[in-house]
Amino acid sequence: MPPELSVVLAAVGLPFAAAVCTPVLYRLLGERTGYAGVAVALASFLLLATQYGTEGAVALEWIPSLDVALQFYVDGWGLLFAMLACGIGTLIFLYSPAYMHGESHLPRFYAALLAFMGSIIGVALAADLIAIFLFWELTSLASFVLIGHYTADDSSQYAARMAMFITVGGGLFLLVGLLLLSVVAGDVVGPDAAFNLAAMLENADAMAEGLREQGLFLPVLGLLAIGAGTKSAQVPLHFWLPNAMAAPTPVSAFLHSATMVKVGVYFVGRMRPILVGEEWLFLFATLGLTTMTVCAIMAVAATDIKELLAYSTASHLGLMVAGFGFTSVYGAETGVFHLLNHALFKATLFLVAGIVAHEAGTRNIHSLGGLRRDLPITALITVVVALSMAGIPPFNGFYSKELLFEAAVEASHYHDIGALGWLYPAVAVFGSIFTVLYSLRFLALFFGDRPEELGHVHRPSTTLLVSPAVLAILAAVVSIRPQLAVDVIVQSGVDATALETHEMHAGLPTSYSTPVGMSAVTIALGLAAYPFYDRIHRGIRTVLRTTPPVAANWWYDAVIGNLTGAGAWVGDRIHNGLLRTYATWTLLGTCGLALVGFAAAGAIAPTELVGVDAPPAVALVLLVAVVAGLAVVLSTSHIAGILTLSILGFMVAIFYILASAPDLALTQLVVETLILLIFLLVVEEIPEYYEVELGKYARDAVVSLAVGATAFVTVLVTTDARPEGRTEIARFYTENAVPEGGGTNIVNVILVDFRGFDTMGELVVVAMAAISILTLIVMRSGGGDE
Amino acid sequence: MTTSVVMRTTARVIVPIILVVAISLFVEGHNLPGGGFIGGVLTTTAFAVIYLAFGLDFLERGVLGRDVDSGKEPSRDRVVVAYRRVFEYGLAIAVLSGLVPLLFGLPFLSQTYVIFEHVPVYGHLEIASALAFDFGVYCVVVGGLLTILSVVGAE
Repeated sequence: MPPELSVVLAAVGLPFAAAVCTPVLYRLLGERTGYAGVAVALASFLLLATQYGTEGAVALEWIPSLDVALQFYVDGWGLLFAMLACGIGTLIFLYSPAYMHGESHLPRFYAALLAFMGSIIGVALAADLIAIFLFWELTSLASFVLIGHYTADDSSQYAARMAMFITVGGGLFLLVGLLLLSVVAGDVVGPDAAFNLAAMLENADAMAEGLREQGLFLPVLGLLAIGAGTKSAQVPLHFWLPNAMAAPTPVSAFLHSATMVKVGVYFVGRMRPILVGEEWLFLFATLGLTTMTVCAIMAVAATDIKELLAYSTASHLGLMVAGFGFTSVYGAETGVFHLLNHALFKATLFLVAGIVAHEAGTRNIHSLGGLRRDLPITALITVVVALSMAGIPPFNGFYSKELLFEAAVEASHYHDIGALGWLYPAVAVFGSIFTVLYSLRFLALFFGDRPEELGHVHRPSTTLLVSPAVLAILAAVVSIRPQLAVDVIVQSGVDATALETHEMHAGLPTSYSTPVGMSAVTIALGLAAYPFYDRIHRGIRTVLRTTPPVAANWWYDAVIGNLTGAGAWVGDRIHNGLLRTYATWTLLGTCGLALVGFAAAGAIAPTELVGVDAPPAVALVLLVAVVAGLAVVLSTSHIAGILTLSILGFMVAIFYILASAPDLALTQLVVETLILLIFLLVVEEIPEYYEVELGKYARDAVVSLAVGATAFVTVLVTTDARPEGRTEIARFYTENAVPEGGGTNIVNVILVDFRGFDTMGELVVVAMAAISILTLIVMRSGGGDE
Repeated sequence: MTTSVVMRTTARVIVPIILVVAISLFVEGHNLPGGGFIGGVLTTTAFAVIYLAFGLDFLERGVLGRDVDSGKEPSRDRVVVAYRRVFEYGLAIAVLSGLVPLLFGLPFLSQTYVIFEHVPVYGHLEIASALAFDFGVYCVVVGGLLTILSVVGAE
């Protein structure tokens, strides 16, 4: 059944429309604007729910003559992700008014949050590569605003800039990858579908073959992996995600758990049918498992509860990427199911962290403990979701982690990967031990002794509790009846991302298998190591402290710090306020680009210089021009230089006459005269010759030689490509000038009749030049008077 | 700037000639080398010669007979305002001449021409609608270049 265009459009467009209206809403509702957000998110959710079970592409014709349309593709995978975004979004909006009570800049906060949600729904449903990229970058922009919410706070600014730098930068890699993909799609699927992801997915095998044939498979895979990896915080670019905890907690819950960071994972799943193969396995399984392990270790080293959760998010994103990386159907099942499970438990955990920070006034792990007496309901919620994060049966995280173990074990059965066949499962188990450790540590906030310094802890208001409670109940439902979640949504997501169809089953294991053994080892080792948590925690911190390069933040700071210094250095060299410096760089830059362009296009071939067959008259004129050119350089006064330069110009005019271009010659003559006069007007203002260093002479000589050589090569190359004889267009002008334009001067007829619009454009340019000079002078004299 | 008597006398003689040549180049541009752009640049040249020989205030003081406040901003100068109007009107003329065909259901900037036979002095006279457009070109070039010239020159 195909989806309904208007419904999909409304679901994507509603958050954006609401974002635009936020200032008005805020004036009407004040801090209750969050509840309007609830309505919007819920509306989008329900609209998408009506599309449940549909599959197919719909397009909104935009510029039909150019085949430009806004395309959407709805299937189980897109719908799962989009509904997750609106569903969790609803709860975040419900939670925000109470949490953000009394904060400033709320209209901007809610507008950004709405736009953020809208763009994530957009990424999930867009079928057009350009639209995907636009929505993708919009999520980065919105997250930049959200992470930098506390604009006066340095760490907030730092985190926002870092997130922007990494994710938008990665987005550019993605863009190149998408463009390469569209080049191949244009050949394989057809020029109409060059940007149509839905069509590519339908012809996934042909696309993969086409990519390999054109040698673009690895470049596309690599570029898309960089894009997805930066977005989903994969090692070594994972560090922006823990820094992003500078954002207000509702944003962290939304950004870290449910949505933006999963956009990369989502995209990996989306592209899986096209690009899956041995290279895919090596790349994503390795990347994902490394991220999972490294970030789990980092989470154990964390001292802030939000930092712990943020590293844990990156670790779980690694788990999902690794899942999709495994080419078996279990891999797809891991990715899809864990995406859902992680959203449920991690959003809850962030909201719990927000409640703890809000009520206890601190986020430091060491100064929190025994909170179950103060926050009993929160403690109950945390038990469900923290055990789920740890992957303890029968909580929901267990099922998807079990699938990962299964996929890791199966990997060696599908591809010949040598030692990696046992290394992958081993690393998966190793990383999971740390997951168990930090999950238990988070849970321990609520148990054990209450530290002395912890003051009175308030009871959270009901509005703060509703959202995490709802999510925890959902997590509990999935925990008890995993097959229900599979039947409702996960199966259709797996169908869209896996290669073969496979009836998925989830449930508690009833007999021994390797994955069950791995789970048992993980949990046993995790529990055994937990008493030594503090020692492990300190050990990791010591390593981080003594070897700063291990921390990715160090690399970022080093690179950015050097960039700032290098930028200032380059700026001083290029942008120093001296006209001749600008001229040097501009001319050299233009020459370089032109020559590189010719070389890249293969235009500079060793052209054989056919004997010079210029008629004597032309030769004479050119000879005089050359002599005049030398005289300009050798002249000792400005007047002599100007006059000899004019000789050069007039020789060019005569050359035009000899080449039967009277109009051009006339223009050249008149302009030459005018320039001569203008030179004479200003020559008195120019200082006399002054001593110039030898270095400057050398630089000028190099620049002029480069410009001259480039102009020479350009003329050679461009005139070489001139078609033989009269072209069709030249014939058209000669034949139609008199009957159509009524003028015998073809040049003028072209200017005013045939190509009048071009002339009009040139007129505008002249007018703008005059206006801008006028403005410049007015501004300068205005400034000088004051 | 001090200029010699020779320069001024020469300017008195050649400026009218240049102007007449410029106008003739503009008028016959449709059939012979010339046209709005060349005519415009040549007209500007004539003005530049005046500036060179007589100074920047000559037009206002000597020709129009008005006093010049020396402290005024160059851009507020009446002559500059006039030049600015010339290119503004020129742009308007060019655009309007392009819009007229729309009234007759033709595309933007369509041009046509009529030929009159047995016109007294000329005999055979051809009027092209493109002349109006070309006049716009002429005005923009003259106005624009003179604005730049006089404002920058006054600095």
